[in-house]
Amino acid sequence: MAVLSLDRLSKRFGARLAVDAVSFEVREREVFGLLGPNGSGKSTILRLVTGYLYPSSGTIRVAGIDVVRAARAARERIGYVPEDSPLYGHMRVVEYLSFMGRLRGITGGALDRAIDAAVERLALGSVRKTIIERLSRGYRQRVSLAQAVLHKPELLVLDEPSNGLDPRQIIELRGLLRHLAQDCAVLVTSHILAEIERTADRAAILLDGRLLTVEQIAHETLAAPVPSPLEALFLELTQAKAMQ
Amino acid sequence: MGSQVATLVGKEVRTLFTSPIAYAVIAVFVVLSGYTFTVSLIVAKQATLVHIFFQSAVQLILLVPLITMRQFAEERRSGTLQLLLTAPLREVDIVVAKFIACMAVLLAMTSLTLVYAAVLATYGDPDWGPIYSGYAGLVMLGAALVSIGLMISALTANQIVAAVVSLGLFGILWAIDTLASLLPQPFENWVLGLSLLAHFTPFAVGAMYLSDVGFFLSVILLGLFLTVRALARR
Repeated sequence: MAVLSLDRLSKRFGARLAVDAVSFEVREREVFGLLGPNGSGKSTILRLVTGYLYPSSGTIRVAGIDVVRAARAARERIGYVPEDSPLYGHMRVVEYLSFMGRLRGITGGALDRAIDAAVERLALGSVRKTIIERLSRGYRQRVSLAQAVLHKPELLVLDEPSNGLDPRQIIELRGLLRHLAQDCAVLVTSHILAEIERTADRAAILLDGRLLTVEQIAHETLAAPVPSPLEALFLELTQAKAMQ
Repeated sequence: MGSQVATLVGKEVRTLFTSPIAYAVIAVFVVLSGYTFTVSLIVAKQATLVHIFFQSAVQLILLVPLITMRQFAEERRSGTLQLLLTAPLREVDIVVAKFIACMAVLLAMTSLTLVYAAVLATYGDPDWGPIYSGYAGLVMLGAALVSIGLMISALTANQIVAAVVSLGLFGILWAIDTLASLLPQPFENWVLGLSLLAHFTPFAVGAMYLSDVGFFLSVILLGLFLTVRALARR
């Protein structure tokens, strides 16, 4: 069954057609990549899927629920990490996760368990009580991912998650995405072809708001979140710094 | 849904009270009104707070934009507005939470001036009617300013722009009665009907009219409604 289905989805900003009759489906436990140059409509599609923007025409269904007509029920099934991972920098990690959990209606013991699970899954134990603005870019990305999986969403939506990360963090993120996809479908955008090729099961290519094609990615590529020779060298040479 | 709104209110109140802006605004408000109260008590020797109410109203016009400016503008600039608008909440929940948080700062600020009423009660025999109505007027005026300030903050991603536009609009609405006197009827009455000063004055001098209460409630509800619409326009 499709976790996400888009049917002739369009979005117009004034005279400009940002998304033009796009249709595709994302299946259970699949990482689905959206590829395209800047301005191709990738982020707009994600904002439409998450309900941040309203479509001009067409329908979006998450787990069979219409995102526009039953917005609240659909949003309960989505975890979203917007571009640049916005966070409340003055909060501590656990305080932020608690706030986001409560906003999604998780309370009491269930909230504590959800936070513990997310912290463990995203390896945030050592920074649990750290103020977010003092965290490195990589850790902030993990905190963003933690809030997005807190309520066990059926669909995880990630907008350019590797932006601003260093090579080590990008390699870690690849493994993390595959790990998260064990429990939910993942819709991820990137303008870097190699990133999608290494993490996604299928990829759609967009240009000027139009969907050009949806391609299956060869399984051998996916089986290798194994670093390339250059990546392996980089990891080896920067190991000491990363351990600090 | 109620607990989610309470969560949001708690976060907004904490954010406001952990920022130096709230304390600076409260300190300036208390120092200025305290100075006026002390001087007027010593010079005029009258057991009244009328002058404090008028001065506080002007201070609210100057200070409320500093409280409301960042509410939506900063969330929009930093991107966190996306998190709120894609959470299982309604726009109205977010607006109400921010309104309550701003009102908490405003009430904390105004309640500190209750000490002047206590001083009057200790050393004199004040007429309590105008004091009650004066405080009611301040709260209604403050709530109206907060709702308009929130609406303007929801329209921009720049908090300085939000503050300046709010200040300009508050100034016009406060003093628009001077323009009204230059206009022929019925325009004079129409413009006078928009004046915050004209609707606040009866409260400050101890005369509460339902029409003035209705005016402030209408401005509050209209401001909040337009804020919700501004958020929903996307």
